[in-house]
Amino acid sequence: MRPEFKILKGFAFAAAALACGLSAKPAAAADPLLLGYQMPLSGDRSQYGEMFRNAAEIKLKAFNAAGGVDGTPVQIVYEDSKNDPKEAIAIAQKFSDNPRILGVLGDFSSTVAMAAGEVYAKSGVAQLSQTASHPDYTKVSKWQFRNITTQAYEGPFTSKWMRESGAKTVAIIAIQNDWGISAAEEFAKAFAAQGGKVTATEYFNPGTRDFRSILTKIGRAKPDAIYLCMFYEEGASALQQAKQLNVKSAMFSTSSLYSPKLIELGGDSVNGLRMASTFVPENPAPEVQTFVSEYKAAYNDAPNMFAAQAYDAVGIMLDALKAVGPKATRAQLRDALAKTNNYPGVTGKTSFDPETREPAKELAKMEVKGGKFVVLP
Amino acid sequence: MVVNVSNLSPRLRQLGLVAVLFGAIPAGLALMGGGYPFQVGITALIFVTLAVSLNLVTGTAGLLSLGHAGFFGVGAYAAALAATKLHWPFLLTLPLAGIVAAALGVIVALPTMRLISIYFAVATLGVGEMIHVSLLNWVSFTRGPMGIRSIPPIEILGLDLSGVIGGYYVAATVAALAIFAVHRLTHSYYGNALRSLREDDQCSAAMGLNPVRLKIEAFAVSCAIAGMAGAVYAHTASFISPDSFRFEESILILAMIVVGGLGSLPGAVIGAVLLIVLPEVLRGIGDFRMIAVGVFMFLSILFLPKGLLGEASAIGLARRQLGAAWRGDIGAGWK
Repeated sequence: MRPEFKILKGFAFAAAALACGLSAKPAAAADPLLLGYQMPLSGDRSQYGEMFRNAAEIKLKAFNAAGGVDGTPVQIVYEDSKNDPKEAIAIAQKFSDNPRILGVLGDFSSTVAMAAGEVYAKSGVAQLSQTASHPDYTKVSKWQFRNITTQAYEGPFTSKWMRESGAKTVAIIAIQNDWGISAAEEFAKAFAAQGGKVTATEYFNPGTRDFRSILTKIGRAKPDAIYLCMFYEEGASALQQAKQLNVKSAMFSTSSLYSPKLIELGGDSVNGLRMASTFVPENPAPEVQTFVSEYKAAYNDAPNMFAAQAYDAVGIMLDALKAVGPKATRAQLRDALAKTNNYPGVTGKTSFDPETREPAKELAKMEVKGGKFVVLP
Repeated sequence: MVVNVSNLSPRLRQLGLVAVLFGAIPAGLALMGGGYPFQVGITALIFVTLAVSLNLVTGTAGLLSLGHAGFFGVGAYAAALAATKLHWPFLLTLPLAGIVAAALGVIVALPTMRLISIYFAVATLGVGEMIHVSLLNWVSFTRGPMGIRSIPPIEILGLDLSGVIGGYYVAATVAALAIFAVHRLTHSYYGNALRSLREDDQCSAAMGLNPVRLKIEAFAVSCAIAGMAGAVYAHTASFISPDSFRFEESILILAMIVVGGLGSLPGAVIGAVLLIVLPEVLRGIGDFRMIAVGVFMFLSILFLPKGLLGEASAIGLARRQLGAAWRGDIGAGWK
């Protein structure tokens, strides 16, 4: 084949691909109000996107069944970002271009959400992420919101609880990464400010399973409590070894230790562990039980914290949309979001600070009792 | 033997291609409406630049590099840091990104250029990972996983190019310059020297070429172009973080030049455009789109193992149509 023809063939291919894409655009149906949701639906984070979409569908269905926005139904347009910043930017442009999309949810990871956020900041679309916990995320522009609390919020909460339970001294064991460092620092700052004393802060490398040397070292000062900033894999080992070493301090941890696997791995030794929590499927509150049973019925799987975050993010967005009515503009929706106050979700009551757009939540107190997570009243 | 454009001189044909890039394509994108087609265009052009630069090293000189995204990242971070901390304008950060990436390329090349084939590939794989891990863990300098935000948009001599259309023209200009530079390098005696290295470096050394020097030069030019693509990315995206410069991106760039045709410059352009545009136009089919892209790549390698536009025909095309080095009537070979 002559090279000229090969080139032409290549272009024809591209043109055909483009034509397919254009015709694949959804025809403009007049009625429903639109929201965009960008999330990883393929690639190595797709399990999270899958959960977000599942949870969002349940919430949306219930909202539309209850009458939608003054009788107008709402529809969510899902786009797959692959958790890839360059795809997220393209999606953000796509959503911004569509004047019918009033607000956007997502993305999953902070850096991807922020890359898209720069586009939403320029085009003026409110973006609500269910999971972006980067300290700078809400500083991108006045259009960024999130409904996940950060360690800057959880640390002081657990610290106060610890002080109320009578602990005067505490030792911290934290995982050596950006999250662990910030969790330990936020907690230590709050505990000192509330009049307590941090006797030691010990970091360990991710993957560590032997905490005996750390426990022996911090045990010498006999702290009233030990605060664990880690995940369930390490938490189970640390708690077992603390029991073997007969450490008497009260055990507290970050909410990240919450997982049925913790009890499976740790057995008896995790009893008595206390932590703050946003979402526990065992929570007897009616809204949580409705969500859990509906999720189980629809997807034959128990929802976890990620699904719950998405469920509430969609709920907050829909509530704001309802507040401004079917003729809402993007700016009105943003202002309504900023006014979110005590939204009664499955992860607790969420309020947004109108200035910083940071969420505040009523966290639940939880304790492991008899091999079960129990929400304390 | 040429179909339609036979009466035009090579110069006019080159101008025609420029007119398509700067006139016809943006006009077409504008007809589709909105910023989204332009955003996809910007990404495609950035990856065209990257694919063209990798093609010089991997396609023409035959050095399989698996760390190209690392140099893309170095350029992006150099531009982002200079723009946010030193408030340098784009006209300065663009060459800076190229120089920093090229300098790092030379440092990497000095010890690795004596390696061949798979050994060189593994060495560059290691370099790419080192760069990614450095961007991730050198928190005091790069802000690590936090990324760099508020990178100022492009402004050239008072001309505000912050929108997607401005971004398109900047990306198109950089891509056109990269294509022109690599076109002149590959379709010349110099390009033939690189090709001879790829085929048999001992033989070419016996013919009086200096393989190590040639490889280092080609690698440095390639890294410089990748670095400048990084600067365009940083300024058009406004936010960068290490997860844009992972190993997967290196593989994506490599896939582009293999699908397009290893060693073929127009192939690299076509491959890059296809692998960026295809996943976007396939959004309509939802969950299956990445599978469709995979099938496309699989079939293209199965039926066109030399790429959509193989090297031999691409060189013939460049010579006959675009006035590179030799023309068809003179005949390929030694002049």
